[in-house]
Amino acid sequence: MEDQQGSAFGFDGTWREYAPIAFTNLLLTIVTLGFYRFWATTRTRRYLWSRTRFIDDRLEWTGTGKELFLGFLMVLVLLGLPFLFLQFGVQALVIRGFAGVAMGTGFAAFVLIFYLGGVARFRAVRYRLSRTYWHGIRGGSDDGGWKYGWSYMWRNVVGMIPLYLMVPWAMISLWNERWNKMSFGPHGFRCNARVKPVFKRFLLFYLAPFLLAIIGVAYVATIGGFIGSVFLHTNYPPVIAAIALVVIIVGIYALLGLIALAYYAAFLREGIGALRLENLDFQFEATTDDWLKLFFGDILLVVGTLGIGWIFLQYRHWKFFITHLEAYGEIDLNALTQSTTRESQHGEGLLDAMDVGAF
Amino acid sequence: MEAEVWHYDGRNANRWGARLAGDATSFRLIGGSWESGPYAWADLAALDLPGADAVFGLKEAPGWRIGLPQDAIPDGLAALLPRKVRYGGFIDRIGLWKASAVLASIAALAVFVGVSAPGWIAPVVPQSFEDNLGDAMVGDFGGRFCATPQGSAALKALTTRIDPDANARSIEVANIPMVNAVALPGRRIVIFDGLLQQAKSPDEVAGVLGHELGHVEHRDTMAALLRQLGLSVILGGMNGTAGSNINALLSLSYGREAEHEADLTAIAKMRAANISPLPTADFFRRMEPALPGKGAKRGRNKGERSDLEDEAQALNWLASHPSSASRYALFADAHDTRRTYAPALQPSEWRALRTMCASDKKVKPVGAFGL
Repeated sequence: MEDQQGSAFGFDGTWREYAPIAFTNLLLTIVTLGFYRFWATTRTRRYLWSRTRFIDDRLEWTGTGKELFLGFLMVLVLLGLPFLFLQFGVQALVIRGFAGVAMGTGFAAFVLIFYLGGVARFRAVRYRLSRTYWHGIRGGSDDGGWKYGWSYMWRNVVGMIPLYLMVPWAMISLWNERWNKMSFGPHGFRCNARVKPVFKRFLLFYLAPFLLAIIGVAYVATIGGFIGSVFLHTNYPPVIAAIALVVIIVGIYALLGLIALAYYAAFLREGIGALRLENLDFQFEATTDDWLKLFFGDILLVVGTLGIGWIFLQYRHWKFFITHLEAYGEIDLNALTQSTTRESQHGEGLLDAMDVGAF
Repeated sequence: MEAEVWHYDGRNANRWGARLAGDATSFRLIGGSWESGPYAWADLAALDLPGADAVFGLKEAPGWRIGLPQDAIPDGLAALLPRKVRYGGFIDRIGLWKASAVLASIAALAVFVGVSAPGWIAPVVPQSFEDNLGDAMVGDFGGRFCATPQGSAALKALTTRIDPDANARSIEVANIPMVNAVALPGRRIVIFDGLLQQAKSPDEVAGVLGHELGHVEHRDTMAALLRQLGLSVILGGMNGTAGSNINALLSLSYGREAEHEADLTAIAKMRAANISPLPTADFFRRMEPALPGKGAKRGRNKGERSDLEDEAQALNWLASHPSSASRYALFADAHDTRRTYAPALQPSEWRALRTMCASDKKVKPVGAFGL
């Protein structure tokens, strides 16, 4: 089947249609002290997936609130109880004067969380693929992600050692490693994203101090007289100096945020652009401008509605993702047979409940 | 009955057109060159999907779907098809608003139980269990307990005076320069050396000891432990930060009521021991700069520490306790003018107690505390 007209992916949900889901989710989450959120997440995804078209039919989300809840309970028992013990235990160790042992246990806990964070990232993608159906076929992975957890630890550490210069390499190679273990139906994903296209954007982080210096020089050159005058003459109010300071500080944060956004935009374009499933090539076309619009739209929405708009962010982000997602190539429906990957019953093992985001 | 449906078989991605033909208990699907079934109506599940089609899945058959336009469902068929699951579980059965009201009442009850249950449970926890737990957690306090022959004798004298029934298993002085005293699990009380240095008379220390004895007798430490444990489980359901903030707030202290009760115990114990509550009242006045008479008292301090330092140190103890003003009033009112009180310790004993940590050569030094 070929992609005849327009984009292979489309989203046709409306916020009016989503609003009843969002508000009832909020209500039930409040009256259950938060416990409903597993079912709320499921309802939201079910709606978003069902309004997402790929070629000729909708996606379907088949995950359940119960399995997310069970996953959460497992995290609570397997991680929460040991950590509760650790909390009291470390307290006791410090009181009893074994500060070294306490620090050692604390470090071990940190390493464990680091490792499980990597495993969770892997399993979040796996869980989402295994619960996503299209034409009655789902995705998944035969890999548990335990090896990926190690990879995640050492690559991130290595990436940080040379003044963070290897972070893009760590991120890209981890992305490839993860996606190369995923599949949909009988077909494995193939991903060979390269570091080079994202590296320049990453270098902007190192350029930032110089950019700031240039801004500073320009600032002094244009209205710098004021700044000097504040110190020389008292007839200029110090308010101006204060405002200048605030502008500069906000500027620094805004600049770093912009660079992060620009880097992330390039990263996803490269990462998804290098993704292939049998005869399908994927592409993600969101530019830095698009991300900026999304980001400021989010802020306006949340601030403008005094926070209530927060419940629509998931909707906005999914819509953004699907609108900019593209696929080329063809699918043989006869060859797209059911996935044989294992499908566990409790939120895909214990870590998907951590739900750190699939992308 | 019959109906035209589309169908995914869950084995490959082809979309089939089929005719559904069934009786009261089961149905079959008949396609152009194939036929499948029978399937039991009871094994069908309605999916909660927006759009014009009603879609159904089949139990134990992932990816198996049939769908047909909502308005094309024949009347006879509609009765056999399952209903949509929307919110999940019983909420669909009794309706959203009723369910919300029920859930809200349960939530309120859960919070109430969660907050007050430790107070009911703590008294029935076997004392031996708490004692073992306390010993495991506290041990010898990392070698920070001070001891000298004279100082220990003075501490013993004070202990016997304020706690004649020996309700506390141990009362020790720790070489830590904070104005604080704590009741630890296992009926153990630790006075920090900073408090001894800050106190102007042994009567003040007796007041503080009486207060901590109150916590021991009311088993407030066990309740606080349970509260910390319970809340972190209950609030685990809430999103990370909100939950842990509330948890930290609620488990921060024993609660004001417990503190007040401990103060009442302290007053009763001082009365029984014939120790004046006035110095303790004065102690609270010194901790609260806004109270009258503070300036005059300050002169006696001979510049041992700066005022700022005093107040910063005092904050430690005050943070978890009722306002000093009300406590001042409570202790001051307990003073009986017709009565002749005896000092909690003789001057020589008091000196020995205050210099105990400084004279103890074996105690772990001040700087070695904590992480």
